[in-house]
Formats: sequence, structure tokens, C-alpha cells
Amino acid sequence: MQEATFLILTALAGGDQHGYGIITDVEQISDGRVRLRAGTLYTALDRLRGDGLVEVDREEIVDNRLRRYYRLTSAGEERLSAEAARLKANALVAMSRLDPVGVPQ
Amino acid sequence: MSDDSGLERRYRRLLALYPAAFREEHEEEMLTVLINGAAAGQRRPRLAEAADLLRNATFMRLRKTQPRAFAARQRMMMRWAYRHRHVMIPIRVALGIWIAVVTAVLYGSGRGGWWAAVLVPAELLNLYLLYRLRRPLES
Repeated sequence: MQEATFLILTALAGGDQHGYGIITDVEQISDGRVRLRAGTLYTALDRLRGDGLVEVDREEIVDNRLRRYYRLTSAGEERLSAEAARLKANALVAMSRLDPVGVPQ
Repeated sequence: MSDDSGLERRYRRLLALYPAAFREEHEEEMLTVLINGAAAGQRRPRLAEAADLLRNATFMRLRKTQPRAFAARQRMMMRWAYRHRHVMIPIRVALGIWIAVVTAVLYGSGRGGWWAAVLVPAELLNLYLLYRLRRPLES
């Protein structure tokens, strides 16, 4: 799973969000490191929706502009949780090898 | 947030690079995101933003329209062949016999070698296309 995809799913794990909300949330989660652009975001959302990991929650019109809110599906939750567990396991191994005493097991 | 229609027009021009189906689904919400992300008074899309749209639009076109266009062309050819089946059937039958005769002659005279690798698939494809001429294509 690409990092952008992981971060988008993580943003949606906190509740439904519209496109711009996802961008600002991802920026916050990644500590300002990842700033998604619209093209990248919607390529990812289109694919995630096709794979059944996210779905459209609702639509709103604000200032004459369409806002579409997305939410995680249960398949999306499963997928994100599996991916997070995998990353955590890898990270723990890396950290324990770099600093064998400092890692809480 | 900006009401400058010039910016919106320019963003729409970039979004026009996407395949029609993708645009129909996402153009409006993408425009919202792009306008929200623009600085106050910004009149043109930023270069990085434009490059990202171009890259993803190209990706979408390669991913989505190509297999579909290929399948559509194939269906068109199938329909054409069916409409002209009064000539296509004799041609396919003749071609099938010709390939069989060529195969028999080549191998009968001991000069076949690897030709079977070409002739057998060609004959199978020909027979399949002949078989498909029995009925018109669904839908």
C-alpha cells in the first residue's frame, strides 16, 4: 500500500470527510510532510471506491460548490488495520535492531 | 477561497484532460478542492498542481479508456464481419482449407519444422472467428 493511500484511509478512519478535509487531515497526520494534490487524491479515491474500501457518505452544496463526503467501509477498516499492524511490526523490528535496549516490547 | 472565474475556467480546462466518465463523476468535487486550496487572489493554477492533474489524467486515460476502446473496436469488427457474413463465411472456410492444405504439404514433404507453431494457432483463430459468425453479437 502506498503511503498516500495509507494516509487517506487513516484520515477517513477518524470519521467521514470531504476531499479538502482529507488533504488538510493528511497534512496534519504526516506532520506537514505529505500534502496531497487534487489529481493524486482523486485517483486514489476513485480506486479505493472501486475496491470497496471507501464509499460516498453524502453530498453537500456549500457556496455553490459540491462537497462529497467519503467514509471508510468495513472492508476498508480491515484493510487499514492489517496494513497498520504490518507497518508496526516492521517498525518495531527496525527500532529494536538499531537500539536493542530502548524499545518497549 | 476565490470567486475569480478565470481561475475556475483554467482549472476546468485542466480537468478536461480526464476521461469523460471520470469527469462526470469527479469534476465538481475536484474543482471544489482546487478552489479551496487556492490562495486568495490566485489567478492561475500553480505549476505543480497543473502537473499533478496532467499526470493523473494521463494515468486515468491509460488505465481506463484503452482496454475499453480496444474492446469496442473489436466488437465493431465482429459486427462488421457478421453483416458481411455472406462473403466472410466463404472466405473463412477457404482460408481454413488453405491453411490445412499448406500444413499437410509442408509436413508431408518433411519441411514442416516449426511452422506448426504459426499454422496451428492461425487455423484455430480462423475456426473461432468462423464459429463467431453463426450468431450476431449480443447487445
